[in-house]
Amino acid sequence: MGKRHLLALFNNFDEAEAVVRELRSVSLKGFDASKDMIVKSPIEHPEVEEFLGNKPVRVQWFTLAGALGGGSLAFLLISASQGNFFAQMKGGKPIVPFPPNFVLTYEMFILGGVYISVLGFLICAGLPARRSPLYSVKVSEDQIGILVKSDEGSSTALKSIFTKHKALEIQEEAGK
Amino acid sequence: MSISTLFENYSEYRHIHPVDDVPHNPYKWAMAIDLDACSGCNACSVACYAENNLPVVGREKFAHGQAMHWMRIERYWDEDGREFPDQGARFLPMMCQQCEAAPCETVCPVGATNHTPDGINSQIYNRCIGSRYCSANCPYKVRYFNWWDYPTTDNVWPAEMNQQLNPDVTVRGKGVMEKCTFCIQRVTVAKNDAKTQGRLVRDGEVQTACQQACPTSAITFGNLVDPNSTVHRKWQAQQVELDKDEQTKDMAEGGSELRGYRIYEQLRPFPSVMYMERVRESAI
Amino acid sequence: MKDIREDIAWAQINKDVLKSLENPRKLYWVILFIAIAMVGVAVGCEVYQYNVGLGVGNFDNPHVWGLYIATFIFWIGMSHSGTLLSAILHLMHADWRKPIYRFAEAMTTFSLMTAGLFVAVHLGRVWQIYFALPYPNMRQVWPNFQSPLLWDAMAIFTYLSSSILFLYVGMIPDLAICRDNMHPGWRKKLYTAIALGWEGTDRQWRNFRITYLTIACFLIPLAVSVHSIVASDFAMSQQPGWHITSFPPYFVAGALYSGCAAIITLFIILRYVFKFEEYMTMSILKKIVRLTFAISMVWTYLNLVEYATVWYGHDEAAKHLLIQKATGTYAPFWWTMNFCGSVVPFIMFFKRFQTHIPVMFSVSLLLNLGMWLERWMIVSPTFADGYYPWTWDHDQWPSFVQWGIVFGSFGWFTMLFMIFCKIFPSVSMYEVKEMVYHRSQATKKLQATGKLAATGKGAH
Repeated sequence: MGKRHLLALFNNFDEAEAVVRELRSVSLKGFDASKDMIVKSPIEHPEVEEFLGNKPVRVQWFTLAGALGGGSLAFLLISASQGNFFAQMKGGKPIVPFPPNFVLTYEMFILGGVYISVLGFLICAGLPARRSPLYSVKVSEDQIGILVKSDEGSSTALKSIFTKHKALEIQEEAGK
Repeated sequence: MSISTLFENYSEYRHIHPVDDVPHNPYKWAMAIDLDACSGCNACSVACYAENNLPVVGREKFAHGQAMHWMRIERYWDEDGREFPDQGARFLPMMCQQCEAAPCETVCPVGATNHTPDGINSQIYNRCIGSRYCSANCPYKVRYFNWWDYPTTDNVWPAEMNQQLNPDVTVRGKGVMEKCTFCIQRVTVAKNDAKTQGRLVRDGEVQTACQQACPTSAITFGNLVDPNSTVHRKWQAQQVELDKDEQTKDMAEGGSELRGYRIYEQLRPFPSVMYMERVRESAI
Repeated sequence: MKDIREDIAWAQINKDVLKSLENPRKLYWVILFIAIAMVGVAVGCEVYQYNVGLGVGNFDNPHVWGLYIATFIFWIGMSHSGTLLSAILHLMHADWRKPIYRFAEAMTTFSLMTAGLFVAVHLGRVWQIYFALPYPNMRQVWPNFQSPLLWDAMAIFTYLSSSILFLYVGMIPDLAICRDNMHPGWRKKLYTAIALGWEGTDRQWRNFRITYLTIACFLIPLAVSVHSIVASDFAMSQQPGWHITSFPPYFVAGALYSGCAAIITLFIILRYVFKFEEYMTMSILKKIVRLTFAISMVWTYLNLVEYATVWYGHDEAAKHLLIQKATGTYAPFWWTMNFCGSVVPFIMFFKRFQTHIPVMFSVSLLLNLGMWLERWMIVSPTFADGYYPWTWDHDQWPSFVQWGIVFGSFGWFTMLFMIFCKIFPSVSMYEVKEMVYHRSQATKKLQATGKLAATGKGAH
């Protein structure tokens, strides 16, 4: 059975919240609220996360790995390069001096942390992404969009939920 | 590979020189300069120009402070109100002090200046990128930078004069730092000769250009770890020790009668040049 | 006075900011043209210096560093306020940062790029600059990791690339707006590519928030470490006037100070040029001015601490140097620096001047003049009156080549900055929307409780 996409636009977060709550409670064929519903908003809005329910964010694990990896890599590589076969004394300091190596380790710790966080962000947020099937430029302006995916049969029911909550506009994927 | 080298030699890589380290062996080149003998004639400086291919920068650049004299004679006057003929200058021949813990070495971003196993502060011209941090951090300001491309500048080595350039020493292009090397080219030749004959360099076998040219023999150069060398005996007689930032003789009550001292010892660069204070009256 | 009007429509915000990408005032082109001409001067000087040698800068042998290093520190310092303040204010939920942080971060990025150029300009053999990079090679020759200059290179690289990432990540939602609204052309293609297909889905926002927060957390210690390391170039050396324990915090305070002053300057320019009066409001200017005043006092304190410790420290060489600074060749500059850095900021003390545009514009320029002189007064006098008597009484004046390159660097920075502001939105649209939204929500809540309280009172 074919899947269809629907995008509804709303004027404010309250309406969008009401829709989401209703969608999470209804059971429609081929529609799972936790997977097939995407809320698009023009601003970062923590309440969206609340009413969407708890979804884990894993970027911080990338950060941890990146920072620790960067730091230890820096210390090992620097010490190893100081201890290579040209090991030469400078200024009477030990050949593997700790204070400078710690400074560089610190910088690489941050460098690794930042780079891998951004990488983690791209992976976790699924970017760069192909544009979703339905998109309205209004979302980047001032409206909140809800994109749902369901079996063809359920789309009428979904549409009626959207209309009930004062959807400004409903876009439908062109029929196949 | 580097990492295994690191682990194998780890303890060797973690000591501070020269205070918790074994002395250099078998060579540690050092100098002793007797200021009582120095008459300020500048022969050492001229000899250095000839030996080390130093560019003669000309009057204008000299006045501007761009001279390249690795060996310079500094003049000091007493502030006692006497004018020139009544008071002669005190002279101080100043060149790279070849510090055991040289402040210039740690700060070079590319490691162009290093401490060699025979105790010299080396300068690698090819490696130098000209950040000039070494000179900024040198307490004695004995490092000279090639502000211009001297080999191609007019009148630095005019047509026939370039025939007298020392073939054992390179000429330096623009943008690199240079300084006194204790005539490393002579030291290397002597060391190689000694090595082929299966012995150590004998005292007096190698002379620096300044030492050779000094008419009053104020400069002594040699191997400090060789107990029979002149320089070792002079350092010992003056009770100056290489790895001290304050000499034991000076810590005694009332100080010491001995003349030997090193410049800016308290900054802990552990210089390899000992000066012997002047005792005669300063008027010449 | 409100930071921002709460009833600005979101669509209006888009429109106003996107307009800045299309038609700025004529002054924009005048500034850009002057900046490019200034860059021309610097390029000419650098070509001359590259070919002939650093001697054309009038350096000499004990006095080996000059304006290049001083200006290098100046630009590094200037970079500090943008990203550091943006990150701190973000963590503290100070939402008035939202209309101004984008250009402040761009300032960070471009002043770091300018500073990076000075490293190259300063080198005697710039064509060998790659020797300072830790690249693996057959001979196993590495740079000297003990050198503070290498820490500098590492810190600046980390700071520059992290700042660019911070700026970029924070800009992705705005790039999507540009993509959706710009007319077709090369810019639309560019925005489409670098917006990475952002659509503002809940998944994207969720990860975005955490990432942005994480980078902000990293950037604060990073920014502090960067200028401490630049301070180490001096504090780690043995020279009088440089070997001072308080240098790292002193440099960080000075960096924040000149950065804040630069934010005021650019705030005033952008506000006029791009007609951002609605967003860069007087109330926000007032907040930055007060912040700048506070930092100026921190700097003044640390500056005085430095003098006092030198004075009481019984280090003859350092004391001699301090006296020489106040009475010797450099005295006019030294006194100007103290005047601009510590006295001029008191103008910001008066409420009347805090929002007076011409006064604040000139004050911010004077503060930066003072901060530039401060860097010069750190670098140069030590060479003229160091430990070694041979270096004394040796005056050196930078030649037109040095001055030309320093002059041109301001053009280079302005050029990059102005081009950036024309291509990318210099006010964060989505965050201004957030600001407007949260503020209007708060007002509504306040009105609601106020009404309740009023009725409650009435009942009794």
